[in-house]
Amino acid sequence: MHSILVIDDEADVRDGMKRVLERAGFSVRIIDNATDALLELKREPANVVITDIIMPKLNGVDAIHRIVREFPSVRIVAISGGGNFDPSGYQPGSITTTAYLAAAEKAGAHHILTKPFESAELIDAVKRVIDAGHD
Amino acid sequence: MARLRSKVASLVTGCVVAVHLILLPALYFGVGYVIRKSHEDLFVQHARTFARILADEFEVGAALESAARTEDMLDLAIIHGESRYAELVERDRRIRSQLGPPDITAPKEPDLRFAHGGDDTYFIVLPVMHAGRSAELRLGFDERPTLARIQLALNRMQLLLGAYLCLAIIIASYLSNRLSRPIRRLQDVSRSIASGDYAQALHVDTPIRELHELAVDLEAMRRELVGVNDRLQEKIREKEASEARRDELQKQLRHRQRLETVGTLAGGIAHEFNNVLVPIILFTDTALQDLPPGSVSRSDLERVLASARRAKNIVQKILTFSHVLGDTKLAPIDLRSVVAEGIVLFSALAPSSIEIRTEIAEHVPLVRADAALAMDLVMNLCTNAYQAMQGTQGVLTVGLRVPPSAAAPSVELVVSDTGHGMEQAVVERIFEPFFTTRPVGQGTGLGLSVVHGIVESFGASIAVETAPEAGTTFRILFPAITEPARADTSLGSLEM
Repeated sequence: MHSILVIDDEADVRDGMKRVLERAGFSVRIIDNATDALLELKREPANVVITDIIMPKLNGVDAIHRIVREFPSVRIVAISGGGNFDPSGYQPGSITTTAYLAAAEKAGAHHILTKPFESAELIDAVKRVIDAGHD
Repeated sequence: MARLRSKVASLVTGCVVAVHLILLPALYFGVGYVIRKSHEDLFVQHARTFARILADEFEVGAALESAARTEDMLDLAIIHGESRYAELVERDRRIRSQLGPPDITAPKEPDLRFAHGGDDTYFIVLPVMHAGRSAELRLGFDERPTLARIQLALNRMQLLLGAYLCLAIIIASYLSNRLSRPIRRLQDVSRSIASGDYAQALHVDTPIRELHELAVDLEAMRRELVGVNDRLQEKIREKEASEARRDELQKQLRHRQRLETVGTLAGGIAHEFNNVLVPIILFTDTALQDLPPGSVSRSDLERVLASARRAKNIVQKILTFSHVLGDTKLAPIDLRSVVAEGIVLFSALAPSSIEIRTEIAEHVPLVRADAALAMDLVMNLCTNAYQAMQGTQGVLTVGLRVPPSAAAPSVELVVSDTGHGMEQAVVERIFEPFFTTRPVGQGTGLGLSVVHGIVESFGASIAVETAPEAGTTFRILFPAITEPARADTSLGSLEM
């Protein structure tokens, strides 16, 4: 059974994903910030990390950089909602969600997903990164 | 400053009359005196000569010899001379011959003054010595013919001087009028110029050099004023135009800032909503899997899921307005095919009460845009037009052309309707998300915000022309691609 680590600062989002993915047959752990997630990965590795991008403390893009560097075998799915954000919050002129997701992809995310997504899209994304990892 | 009451014409005429009223009586009395004097002198000379000759006749001849002869002589003096009274006095003997009224009597002393004594008679007394006898010859000459001649001459002179005065007044008024006419003309034109009418050229036809030169100088001044005035007007127009442009730019800036503020808010809300929608969709999906087909709860949850998807769609539209889609893939496209396709699609949806007219130019340059979003743009504008004409017969016109007066090469998409139009206050808010004038349930108020977002993402501009009950026209100006490029006509990126 593949294990998945979900990182999102929104409790309902990570719980929802945990429920869907567990039903799809995955072992899922959830965590609310990227710093703790890195420690958790050290403690117990995972096959797939699903991480939000815009989060307090360590943001998703930096987290992906470190995961790729420290845990090269982990497959990564980046997720993000709408809006323009920079470190100080929402700004009209800041980098867009799409650009964040593109940056995540560039940092090493194997798949990107725009919130809100359907259960099927989430399961499909996870299966795809796992399958791609086996190639 | 002197009181300004006199006109040139009346002043000149008055002066002429005044001068003549002083000079003419003096002339009359002077010349009258000379005439009178000369007639008088002639009369006296004549009377004295005649009297002398008669006295000589008495002294030399034998007239004194008898009374009859003396009387004949005196009668001759009356008949041939101009006397009206002749008398010879010798001691106590008096012989008299007389014409005219019998009350004339010679004075004791000779009356040697013309027109004196009130009897119209000029008396001369001469001593006559003949053959040792001493007598006195008294002659009275009739002054009346001479007085009549003098009076006639004076009357004629009066007539002449009166005629001269009239002629002088006529000539003076004519000349003063000729003098004042160009002055009045100058005055009229100066007043016109003072009241702002510079168009009237100043041409004065006058033989008077000073007036002619004054007119020429004034005309030069008028031309200069016209030039200065034109330049000033031009500057005022430029200033007004620049102020109007500045006001317009400020208005656009305020509008843009307002939209950005709304966009900021909308983007923030959209982000929160997306996070809220994730658990709703995921948990509902999961719950659905646990429910048997046909159960009421399943049907309810399916509706929850459908609503969540609708919410997702709305959020996507808000994000389009907020320009946060970000992944708009701009490529050279030919708007003609997009617009034509949009019209075909819209025609299928529009009711028959709407007449759709298309005015698509045969050739327009390519523009940098996203075909799917451009299609959305056309559809949203058409839908908005249709809603503006709802319930009425109306004409929707969709045009695509190269605008004739654009500053840079561009393509103009024009969508106009014959609907109810809008107030200015409404126009200023139409691009704000959720702003709608329609009743609840008819549209979300997002259509034109999406239009605005798409237009912005293409680097195009949008203008609205409308007035209440006069329809609305949206004009979208796309910058044209000037370098050669191949059109991308795919609608593959349509993922709203």
